[in-house]
Amino acid sequence: MIEQNKLPLSATMAAEKIVAAKKEGEAIALVLITHGPSTVLGQRIAIKKLKCGGLVKIGSFQGNDLNNQAMELAKEALESPGPQEDRFHDLTVNSGQKYKLFVEAYHPPPELIIVGAGHIAQPLSSITAMLGFNVTVIDDREEFVTRKRFPEADRLMEVDFINPFKDITVDQNSYIVLVTRGHKYDFECLRFLLRSQVEPSYIGMIGSRRRIRAAFIQLINDQLDPERIARIRAPLGLDIGSETPTEIAISVAAELVLLSRKGDGMPLSQKENIFNRFFKKG
Amino acid sequence: MKETTIQNIHQAILEKTNQGRTVAVATIVATKGSVPRKIGAKMLVDPGYDIVGTIGGGCGEGEVIAVAHEVIASGTPQVVHVDLTEDILSLSPAVCGGTMEVFVEAVVRS
Repeated sequence: MIEQNKLPLSATMAAEKIVAAKKEGEAIALVLITHGPSTVLGQRIAIKKLKCGGLVKIGSFQGNDLNNQAMELAKEALESPGPQEDRFHDLTVNSGQKYKLFVEAYHPPPELIIVGAGHIAQPLSSITAMLGFNVTVIDDREEFVTRKRFPEADRLMEVDFINPFKDITVDQNSYIVLVTRGHKYDFECLRFLLRSQVEPSYIGMIGSRRRIRAAFIQLINDQLDPERIARIRAPLGLDIGSETPTEIAISVAAELVLLSRKGDGMPLSQKENIFNRFFKKG
Repeated sequence: MKETTIQNIHQAILEKTNQGRTVAVATIVATKGSVPRKIGAKMLVDPGYDIVGTIGGGCGEGEVIAVAHEVIASGTPQVVHVDLTEDILSLSPAVCGGTMEVFVEAVVRS
């Protein structure tokens, strides 16, 4: 781990580092002392995660124990890009001094790659852009990947489905939705993804049970990792009875939220069951 | 996710302090029950000029703004406990039924 400066970060330096990390597409976690001796209140340290995965410590607290515990908290926050519930930590150091630390992490926006610029891609691009994804739409038909069809997408690209991700970085921050016009293309892209070393956070593919089964048989025959095949979300989306392209897009978007927020997809009314639990007689 | 407001607030901190101004930054560090903004939400208070961002509006925010002035004067950060539990069925949109801890610090150019 690379180390930068031995003093705590000032609030303006922290703001600078956050702005820079966002610009570079890097994640950064900061630890702030909110309770403790008055001389250290408001002090911060940070750890930045480079795109290659390397960590850079920025600043340090006085006191090894405090510093090490704070660094651990920052590292933990960098490892979990989802929502963090426990961001406020009570901590006692060797000397017996008590502190409260607040952890803030800023992760680069997740990258959604929609493969196939058809009917489902349009509403899906709008909805996922609203959700905060960086949206890329790709297709091999130039006339489909237009600004007019995808006003909210961050990137539109015409690609060859033989090597669709040639100019796109696919990594753990990527979510990939396969909704091309033909199952053949979806399958080619899927196989391409499974042959790659890095596994994206999500691969969803549209299709009937029969076609998906055939695709899986082919992948197994190609000796691709069965565990990775099992993680493919196919058919993609939640069962909300979707029929129209917009309804399907909502079902896919709901699955993306469910995975990132670790939900269970159950209706809240059913889960809470408030009437039956509190108002039903007998 | 794209946190445009978060990005703006950090940029605002840099712009203000680069102009030599001392501002206060309030950050929600803990919440309990239902509150209007999430943990991590920030508000910048530049006394006499403006406010950037919000930690939810209403009475709670007024309290925090008052502390922001104190913190700028003293230079010592404070944690404000904001109670929004008064009346859960009240029609005022600022009443949410929860409480939150807000860390308020003065920020100057380093």
